[in-house]
Amino acid sequence: MKDLVEYIAKSIVNEPDAVNVEEETNDEGITLKLTVADDDKGRIIGKQGQIAQAMRTLLRVKAAKAATRVRLEIM
Amino acid sequence: MEIPERQDDIFEAARSILSRLLDLMAIPASIAVSDEFTVADEDGNASSVGLNIEGEDLGILIGRRGQTMASLQHIVRIIMAHQMQVRLPIVLDVEGYKKRRCEGLRALAERLAEQVKTREMPFTMEPMSAFERRVIHLALADHPDVSTESTGFGETRKVVISPRNI
Repeated sequence: MKDLVEYIAKSIVNEPDAVNVEEETNDEGITLKLTVADDDKGRIIGKQGQIAQAMRTLLRVKAAKAATRVRLEIM
Repeated sequence: MEIPERQDDIFEAARSILSRLLDLMAIPASIAVSDEFTVADEDGNASSVGLNIEGEDLGILIGRRGQTMASLQHIVRIIMAHQMQVRLPIVLDVEGYKKRRCEGLRALAERLAEQVKTREMPFTMEPMSAFERRVIHLALADHPDVSTESTGFGETRKVVISPRNI
């Protein structure tokens, strides 16, 4: 899961080196914690949260195929 | 459709971003140029880049009312905009789903136009995405008897088809 978010995030920010994704697994599924440079936050979230929303949709497809659930938190 | 040589790199870039995303999503699929959604201007330059994703069992990639496909298209567009100087609209299709939807919308537009003409009453369509509304507007742009406009905001924006001469 982590690599998908990492690729998207690094491809749209100005500071790819500041992108970090932590992956945690618990009973409810997988939680991804995405951190980016402060100035890049807007780029990750997008207008009206559209980019974050689109990332979550793609994650859901991957999670469904793997029969799990995934949450994306933008820190 | 022939891709103009100087735009090869744009198609290649879009294709490679999409291919990377599909790999990371663990979805086996191939990517072809979509004739339907690759539009050229008078000089033969592409004014939109259409790609069709082909493979087995890709319903999961289309999603309810094409939502997942729209998210994938959004991400590819954002990455392209960030990486390339040239900006061209990227239109993604999955197994020709969007193409069939467009054909259906054009047929529906024609039927509704006839109805509006006969009844001499405006007709308000269901809410649709910007892309779908555009298909309706273009389908009826040269219609002699009806005109179209969009009303409402956001998710509930819809096309109204009205008689021309009232």
